[in-house]
Amino acid sequence: MFNIHRVLGQRGVKGCAALLTAVLMVTGCSGGSGGSSEANWVSIEDRYTVDPEKPAWQLDKKEEVTDLTWYVNADWWNTDFGKDIVTKKIKEDLNINIKFITGDDTKLNTFFAGGDMPDLLTVFDSNSQVVSKASTWAIPLNDLAEKYDPYFNKVAAADTLKWFQQADGKTYGYPNYSNTQADYDSGNIPAKTAFIIRKDVYEALGSPVMGTPEQFQSVMKQIKEKFPSLIPFGFNAIGGGTGSLGDALQDFIGVPLETENGEFYDRNLDEDYLTWLKTLNAVYRDGNISDDSFADDGTAFEEKVKSGKYAAMLLDGTPQQGGNLQIYMSDNEGKEYIAIDGPQSTKGHAPTLNQSGITGWMINFISKDAKDPAKAMQIFTHLLSEEGQILMNYGIEGETFKKKADGTVELLPAVKDMQLHNADQFKKDYRLGEFMFFGHDRHKALSADAFPEAIKQMQAWGKGKLTPHFILENINPNLGTAEARALSAINTKWNSTLVSMLRSKDDASFDNALAAYQSFLEENRWADIVKIRSEKMKQNKEKLGMQ
Amino acid sequence: MVLPGILFMIVFCYIPIYGLTIAFKNYTVIDTLSSAPWVGLDNFRIIMSDKYFWDAVVNTLGISFLKLGIGFVIPIILAIMIYELNSGRFKKFVQTVSYLPHFLSWIVLGGMLITWFSTTGLFNELLLGLGIISQPQNILLDAGKYWWIATLSDIWKEAGWGTILYLAIMSKIDPTYYEAAKIDGASRMRQIWNITLPNMKSIISLNLILTVSGLLGSNLDQTLVLMNSQNREKAEVINSYVYRMGMSQGDFSYATAVGLGVSIISVILLVTANKITSKLNDNQSVL
Repeated sequence: MFNIHRVLGQRGVKGCAALLTAVLMVTGCSGGSGGSSEANWVSIEDRYTVDPEKPAWQLDKKEEVTDLTWYVNADWWNTDFGKDIVTKKIKEDLNINIKFITGDDTKLNTFFAGGDMPDLLTVFDSNSQVVSKASTWAIPLNDLAEKYDPYFNKVAAADTLKWFQQADGKTYGYPNYSNTQADYDSGNIPAKTAFIIRKDVYEALGSPVMGTPEQFQSVMKQIKEKFPSLIPFGFNAIGGGTGSLGDALQDFIGVPLETENGEFYDRNLDEDYLTWLKTLNAVYRDGNISDDSFADDGTAFEEKVKSGKYAAMLLDGTPQQGGNLQIYMSDNEGKEYIAIDGPQSTKGHAPTLNQSGITGWMINFISKDAKDPAKAMQIFTHLLSEEGQILMNYGIEGETFKKKADGTVELLPAVKDMQLHNADQFKKDYRLGEFMFFGHDRHKALSADAFPEAIKQMQAWGKGKLTPHFILENINPNLGTAEARALSAINTKWNSTLVSMLRSKDDASFDNALAAYQSFLEENRWADIVKIRSEKMKQNKEKLGMQ
Repeated sequence: MVLPGILFMIVFCYIPIYGLTIAFKNYTVIDTLSSAPWVGLDNFRIIMSDKYFWDAVVNTLGISFLKLGIGFVIPIILAIMIYELNSGRFKKFVQTVSYLPHFLSWIVLGGMLITWFSTTGLFNELLLGLGIISQPQNILLDAGKYWWIATLSDIWKEAGWGTILYLAIMSKIDPTYYEAAKIDGASRMRQIWNITLPNMKSIISLNLILTVSGLLGSNLDQTLVLMNSQNREKAEVINSYVYRMGMSQGDFSYATAVGLGVSIISVILLVTANKITSKLNDNQSVL
């Protein structure tokens, strides 16, 4: 004790100050926000009286401009606001100024750790903890609508709101591209997966049928003979996943989504699917799948699409490759890629192609720290309304597009011309189809100008082949649980097993890789994961009213 | 004068240590450091039974020891060879060429390697041309070769740069030693053995200590660029595993627990290496 006194005495005030600072910093660090803050319910008494028949943004008389910060968890998001025709109109209509902040998960985590939250937040992963614990940091849309803007309930899809409902019966986030059963039934959603082949190759071989494994293998051989400079068969970059050879191929040949009892079905071990993997392995052994296809990243794959390196491809995400396919098509007339029926189920199943489901893509939230939640809510309503949707996709009538007699929409020639020939300027001036926080496929269907020419035939081919995969959405074990860890190990194992199987030197090593995967499943809580997934599928069906 | 330094250390080095507590908690992004529930040693127990973690440990040690075994000696040999060169111009040329790869990031070098190792790349063309193989194969997909690819490419990148310290110390050696040795009739090899190497002893020891203590913490950039689904089982190192668990899977507690374990082992390695080298240096510790 004596020593401590002496030391403190010697070091004096400075030491104490440093120590004190340290203690303060530590306690300060541990405080944080914790999402325990209360929502900032501003009063709208002297601004407007809510009207369920009229959107609040048309009623709000607030005179000063409202400044809002909006965090988007994507580095690629264009942070400009108010310069192009779309955001300029939004700015005028709502009398707001939005400052966009972009970043990755690290930055998102910093917001939560630092406690200084933006007004609005957009995230992507519906399975993440940020979304599942939204009740701790976001304001429920139900309460916002009731207090500030009941018109929201007219423009939001009831099914989507119900789908995102949390345990407390409230919905906190609203996504874009959330497709409900009604959307699927309307036929307005275009397919995004296709088996495509270069037209010149297809015609040179006499438009062969390649539905069965034998036919497929033999056509690939013929391609190699006639077009030795091409790689006969390609697929999306595999990376840490399965490229287009996992669930995209399973959907393509119509592997069932569930067991007959409505429980989780392990589609990776489906007999029909494994037959096709064996066929692809045979094609690989014939030298008709390049080793590089297994190592390429997204950029390398895109380069090959752009230069027409693959004779045929199972392509998932045709809109994402639309630009590259268009570039290839414009430079190589008559050699463009076309969709054909391609591989078929050996069991006679029809394709069950997938598209964006009810979970959608980007999910938007209003945080409890929002300075003016009423204004924030008005953005949701505005963009979700018919008016907002048309504005995002086609701009302003008379200025950028005209409505035709049949109700469809057409861009004005000058705008269309810029879209085709000066894409950068087009983005800067018009930004059509890009400000898509609440974007939706059904509005894309309003115009022939919504998609590039190169993928229209592929989308037409996919008509009638889409099947909603709603029951399989968000069925993974909750993050942080032992099952979630086991599942991530299993996914990693499946990724390497799939590639090993496709690159097998003989049938025996194909079977060995598969057997090793199956025993890996047993060692890693697979039974528990299946149970959780079946349970969550049941909940999904209840939510969707399928039971 | 010392106070700003102390404060800096406290704020940026010691306070963050508090964050290590999440290794003993079940932490999610929504929680704060204090609100996350304690789970004791659960995270460490899970690590013990995690096959992928142990794979990563084996790979880290394998690759690091290969790099240490080969990569530690080569800069010394290279430095002596450069030192022994007579022509000033040629010396400069060799130095520039050997330093160059150090200034390129792994993103750039990795991209080059991926192209060279692809089926239509430099190496396959070469092997096909020499008739060593008949079918081109993507070499990076071959897990069995990964450790060597990692080691040799790292040596290619860093060997030249590693010579700088040695060359600096060699320039300090008193030239009269060499003159005296020459008069005594010592050969060049003898001079290197009896004069150059003993004079480099302390700097070699220091380098060894620094390298050994960093054994478990290296290889991240290289791994992230060169790893793919097929070589993962041989390529995943502890750092890339921590990165994957923490950043992409959001399992922060687990990733922190792994990081904490690695830090403790690194300290042990550091102290051991210091002990060994001080024995070699007449009980004088470099640290």
